[in-house]
Amino acid sequence: MITGQWPYGQSEERAVAHVVVSQLYKKYGELQVVHGVDFEIGDGEFMVLVGPSGCGKSTILRMIAGLEGVTGGEIVINDRMMNDVPPRDRDIAMVFQDYALYPHMSVRQNLGFGLKMRNAPRAEVEATVRKTAETLQIEALLDRKPKQLSGGQRQRVAIGRAIAREPQVFLFDEPLSNLDAKLRVEMRTQIKRLHMSFKVTSIYVTHDQTEAMTLADRIVVLRDGRIEQVGTPEELYARPANRFVAGFIGSPTMNFIEAQVVEEGNGLRVVPVGGPPLAIPKSRAQRYQRHAGRPVILGIRPEDVTNTWTEESRARESAVPLDVAVEISEPLGSDTLIFARLGNAEIVCRASGMSAPVSGSAIRLNAHMDRMHLFDPESGMAL
Amino acid sequence: MSQDAAVGAASRTGSRHKKAWHLAERPLVWLAPLTLLLFVTYVYPAIDVIRYSFTDATLLNPEYAYTTDSFKAVIRSPDLPGILWVTFAFVVASVILQLVLGLLVAMALHRGVRRRLPGVSVVRIIILSAWIVPGVAAGIVWQLMFNEASYGFLNAVLRGAGLSPVAWLSDPNIALWSAVIANVWRGTAFSMLLLYAGLVVIPSSLYEAASVDGATALKQFWYITLPQLRPILLINTVLISIFTLNTFDLILPLTGGGPGRATEVLALYTYNTVFRNFDLSNGAVLAVVLLLISIVFTLIYVRLLPREL
Ligand SMILES: Nc1ncnc2c1ncn2[C@@H]1O[C@H](COP(=O)(O)OP(=O)(O)OP(=O)(O)O)[C@@H](O)[C@H]1O
Ligand SMILES: [Mg+2]
Repeated sequence: MITGQWPYGQSEERAVAHVVVSQLYKKYGELQVVHGVDFEIGDGEFMVLVGPSGCGKSTILRMIAGLEGVTGGEIVINDRMMNDVPPRDRDIAMVFQDYALYPHMSVRQNLGFGLKMRNAPRAEVEATVRKTAETLQIEALLDRKPKQLSGGQRQRVAIGRAIAREPQVFLFDEPLSNLDAKLRVEMRTQIKRLHMSFKVTSIYVTHDQTEAMTLADRIVVLRDGRIEQVGTPEELYARPANRFVAGFIGSPTMNFIEAQVVEEGNGLRVVPVGGPPLAIPKSRAQRYQRHAGRPVILGIRPEDVTNTWTEESRARESAVPLDVAVEISEPLGSDTLIFARLGNAEIVCRASGMSAPVSGSAIRLNAHMDRMHLFDPESGMAL
Repeated sequence: MSQDAAVGAASRTGSRHKKAWHLAERPLVWLAPLTLLLFVTYVYPAIDVIRYSFTDATLLNPEYAYTTDSFKAVIRSPDLPGILWVTFAFVVASVILQLVLGLLVAMALHRGVRRRLPGVSVVRIIILSAWIVPGVAAGIVWQLMFNEASYGFLNAVLRGAGLSPVAWLSDPNIALWSAVIANVWRGTAFSMLLLYAGLVVIPSSLYEAASVDGATALKQFWYITLPQLRPILLINTVLISIFTLNTFDLILPLTGGGPGRATEVLALYTYNTVFRNFDLSNGAVLAVVLLLISIVFTLIYVRLLPREL
């Protein structure tokens, strides 16, 4: 689907950029919205900034673009300090949430605008526009105005306008949020393909954790202008640093159950309030030993409370049988979500297959305790 | 399939609003008062003017006969080419200056508002106050500004700066420009207001995209601001043309059309023909000419409206 070279120039010669953001602060008047953020993006890396609405993702991205002044800290692209460099000299391209296509220009002019502003020769602009349009399969739309395009087509043009420029860094601010669900998935794949073929350093802002997980090489999770965790999707999923990240990554969201760690003769257990004790596997016992006798928050993902055994869990005997009272079940096709009661807590489980158990019945599932998490009830930090 | 639905809908509306006025279905009912008002205040006087243009009426003699001599007299009048030229120059210069100045002021104001500079609303009020000043008052104000007697403000400034005074109103080559300046002073506020409204609705993300795309401020103005303002600029041009074409209240106290006929625009010429020469029929002919030109501009305006906005 996406073929060929970088639209113009030789792909081998293309500069790749790394971006360093250090101790970044932003204040709007008296309102501090970014509180000392540090992260680094390697050459050709796809970094996703994710977090709930209002956490400062767009603000950070716009500071990197130069559209917003920096209150404190540094933005460095390829060893060049960018704080006071105007956007046009940063060699970046940005895809905006509302696309920001130039309404009075044709698609062709939109695609070529960046090159024209850089005084590229006419023939080169034309060749690049043609290549870009080919890459994104929008050749047929070149003479239309943005008004005459569908949302998905506008999206493509917006991306095309960015790649035609051949920038060192791509910035995306929630580029898919105005598309319907199906198109969103399609364009997500498209963006991923583009990145895999061109390997341009990219920073992508979204509040959708699925987008973050599927696209990112690494993810920065933000909350209230602070970094909660930086890591690969696997790291964030398997080893969330705190309850916020654990709850933010993964869908449906992780179950959090008030519980207590207790030590019994033959091992360590975690006891949900009002529920049955669950054995902590030996692999985790040492780590959790020192919390014996303390209240904790038990975190376990819906997909880890299920009706199947994995080879691993069987071998390690880490799957604990768990009897739950079914309240509602929602068949999704491949899986069934089971909303059930465990002690005082309401939990979601994910059973494979369409076998929707009846409301009110009790069923036995397996809790894969080797994937359990414990969090400090006060600080929310992973234990 | 829609037959049932249509019948259903009809009977439903029929029963629910049995006694209601079906205003949407009877436009005449609610258009009638407006039509009557327009007829009495606009159409009838206009028709009457057209009727007088086909007579030999004067203000001094109540008797008149129907004739087309007035048209011939006006067209053959040796004054007409000069009048038309003055009118053309007055309108074109006013339109260009009001567009340019209006745009500059609107952009400055827009910047000021976006940066939350203090005093912006004061500036806006001052500019608007120029617009609400009646034409006659503006003419008098500028007559004092340009006055070549010792109290004339501009010449006092020039003298203070060690420059020789200018014959603002008595030099036939300068008087028209003085009239243009006074008219622009009054009209810029309107132009500014329209253009400011146009600037406000340009999405700021277009400028952001352009600046990321490498456009300098000047290129942003050329490639974003101007094309985005195009419809407003066109409509503004037409409206200013109509306003300026019909201006005589400003010039009357300023120069009275002089020196000679240097500032006698068509509207003022019409006024003078009727109220100074008491020649009602020739004045009516000139009024018809004015009306025709205005109608042409209005048609352009009407054509532009739906397409451009
Ligand atoms: N120009 C501004 N003036 C004042 N406050 C602002 C401005 N822009 C953003 N903010 C505030 O800064 C905070 C972060 O905004 P930002 O747009 O970065 O959030 P976000 O993470 O992108 O959220 P979303 O997912 O809704 O786009 C918000 O509380 C917002 O109200
Ligand atoms: Mg945002």
